[in-house]
Amino acid sequence: MHQDDTVPTAPLAHDDPVDGRPRTSRSLPLVGALSVLLLLALAWATGLGAWLARPDVRAWQTVCVAITVQAMPFLVLGTLVSGAVAAFVPAHVFQRLLPRRPALAVPVASVAGVALPGCECASVPVANSLIRRGVTPSAAFAFLLSAPAVNPIVLTSTAVAFPGSPRMVAARLIASLATSAVMGWLWLRFGRAQWLRPAVRHTGHQPGASRWEEFRQGFQHDFLHAGGYLVLGAFAAATFNVFVPRSVLDSLSTSPWLSVLVLALLAVVLAVCSEADAFVAASLTGFSPTARLAFMVVGPMVDLKLMALQAGTFGKSFALRFSAATAVVAVISAAVTGWWLL
Amino acid sequence: MKHPVPAVLLLLVGAALLRITLFGDVALRYVQEPLRPYLAVTGAVLILAAALSRVRDGRGDGHGPPRTAWLLVPPALALLCWAPPALGSYTAARNNPKIVADYDHFDPLPTHGAVHLSLTEFTARVQQEEAQSLRGRTVVLSGFVTPRTDGAWDLSRLLVSCCAADSQSLTVRMHGIHSPAADTWVTVTGTWHPSGTLGTTSAAVALNVDSLQRIPEPKRPYVDRPPA
Repeated sequence: MHQDDTVPTAPLAHDDPVDGRPRTSRSLPLVGALSVLLLLALAWATGLGAWLARPDVRAWQTVCVAITVQAMPFLVLGTLVSGAVAAFVPAHVFQRLLPRRPALAVPVASVAGVALPGCECASVPVANSLIRRGVTPSAAFAFLLSAPAVNPIVLTSTAVAFPGSPRMVAARLIASLATSAVMGWLWLRFGRAQWLRPAVRHTGHQPGASRWEEFRQGFQHDFLHAGGYLVLGAFAAATFNVFVPRSVLDSLSTSPWLSVLVLALLAVVLAVCSEADAFVAASLTGFSPTARLAFMVVGPMVDLKLMALQAGTFGKSFALRFSAATAVVAVISAAVTGWWLL
Repeated sequence: MKHPVPAVLLLLVGAALLRITLFGDVALRYVQEPLRPYLAVTGAVLILAAALSRVRDGRGDGHGPPRTAWLLVPPALALLCWAPPALGSYTAARNNPKIVADYDHFDPLPTHGAVHLSLTEFTARVQQEEAQSLRGRTVVLSGFVTPRTDGAWDLSRLLVSCCAADSQSLTVRMHGIHSPAADTWVTVTGTWHPSGTLGTTSAAVALNVDSLQRIPEPKRPYVDRPPA
């Protein structure tokens, strides 16, 4: 995080449209890097080395790096797809594929989420590029939520993690689809375009520009941007993962309502990827099946690394509102489905 | 005008991914084996993008990177220079215990000699096997040392399904020998510690240790294998 503060050069380098960049801006990263090194050397001298070698801090580093490494292939896949969609796919393709009326496009987009077998990190940039190509945001958000939650890999791993209870798989499918469709409709009814960062409303291919060059630049920008936010999310998730004792949570497992909320909260802070969360849910044996369902419905849709990614892509004011609303809808949806099926 | 920073960042992350997948088994401290080829491809894609970025941005308006992209630097540098170790006793002591699935049947043990078991199978045989085939048998297990607050210690394994953030722990309580240093990987030989009824959930998942041998950390630290 402090890297961000100590290197104030990037925004300077970004906008200087009139007379080119000042001469100093290219040496500033070097100065920044040197001062960071100097700070590190100072910190090292004052005991940072010993602190970094503490068992809890080492576990934190491992979990942080693990979340980042695990998400990288999915993030790169997602930004490649989104770059390709923006540069090569004409807007009218989506207008033909999706129903004209947004209210109908939402459930179609929810079900289409089955087709993207990736984790949640891939779906954020793809949803972004769909919006840029003129897909109604409500449908793109329904897709964003359902893609990591209901794809075949996730459903299979759920079946493996809960052997002998196919109802858990069905409940997960139904509750996730319902949540994503409801969120799409909610956006249709209440969403405001100004919550979205302006860049999201840009169009893709510009006449006259090279499509390949647009693809490359789009990929480079989206990857670096989302990658930084991914690391931020991994920092936060690893902090909770390592430092919050599980015993605190287990003591809350007795009350049925509280246990649903506790596991929903755990899903937000742990940021386990959607292909693995069923195994974690299966291990939370002290909790009711409905609470574990809530863990699996909330996890792929709202978690710390995902919120960071959304804040980076769509803007902070969007990410906060959208994640809060999604969490509420997902918990209700899981509770109703669990009461009905489990 | 060239802007070098985006290319450098792409190169750094790409190099870090190639380093942990192609040169050694560092990646297996964080993720499972099946993801490894995808990580290597991802690293190659990023390095290619870095190379193209240098070529193309040479012509025209180079962009600085988004400010948050600097956050990619610490994990990438860490992987290149000082890769964090696999999770160990600190995590095992605080994790959810892994639930050992119900076994449909147990293969007959070899008729004589010591029995080499994974911690999963040992736990299952102790708590599920009605035939009690472990009774009186010498068992060999391996894992790492997790000291307990009461002075005793556990032999532990961490199991991971996707990445190290979802680890769950398997533990077997050790009796009769002093605890080696935390996180030491060991192979132990001993017999079931009689407490409760063998073959039921009342049986203690515990071992009376006769001998202990240090072993190097296995290549795949999160895969529960019987000792060789």
